[in-house]
Amino acid sequence: MHTHPYLRAYMAGVFVPTLVLPLILAVFIVLRLVLQVQVPIERFLVFPFALVPTLFGVWNVVFLWSHPRTQLPVGVYGAVLPLIGAPIGALVANCLGLVEFGGNHVTYFETVHVPYAMLPLFLLAAMAGYYLVWKYIIGFLNRVLGIA
Amino acid sequence: MNGNDEERLKQLLRGALPRVEGESEPKRDLWPAVLKRLDEKPAAPPWFDWALLAGLVGMAAFFPSAIPVFLYYL
Repeated sequence: MHTHPYLRAYMAGVFVPTLVLPLILAVFIVLRLVLQVQVPIERFLVFPFALVPTLFGVWNVVFLWSHPRTQLPVGVYGAVLPLIGAPIGALVANCLGLVEFGGNHVTYFETVHVPYAMLPLFLLAAMAGYYLVWKYIIGFLNRVLGIA
Repeated sequence: MNGNDEERLKQLLRGALPRVEGESEPKRDLWPAVLKRLDEKPAAPPWFDWALLAGLVGMAAFFPSAIPVFLYYL
């Protein structure tokens, strides 16, 4: 299995979002249709369904391409990814009306208020979560597919 | 292709392929080493990774309203 390494890297990258997103969809369908929680689910799903898998796949291709030069572990690549994905997600959310920037807090989905002071903590938490996911899951998949 | 051509082709092939030296089988039984490697337990995650995981769980417990935001970015 020595052909198409970038295709295999892309497939390994999209594995985690592809696995998790149906669960997220199920949770939000239950919240919206069963429990009648007023969350704009249709607009909510655009970023996680359309862009996040592509972002994961392309970022794993970038890892495979640049790893011989950087020699950084795959977990570090994962930790860096929120620094790219968070602004894109915020931009998409802003365009879709999912986020409102107030005087001292951000309002997500018309319900979740996040003070600006908490945003760095959220970003660090996202980096920690991505670090673990990329180190243990995508790193494992890369080894299984023979690209790491 | 006549007989001369076949002989010449054989000689070319023999000359192009490297001669196999010595025995073709390994000198020792490799199967115990394979079994030993299969029995090896994977290295445990370092304490730093456990600390990160505990931090994430703690954050989800203290700020449950943040969970939809994280789900959005996943």
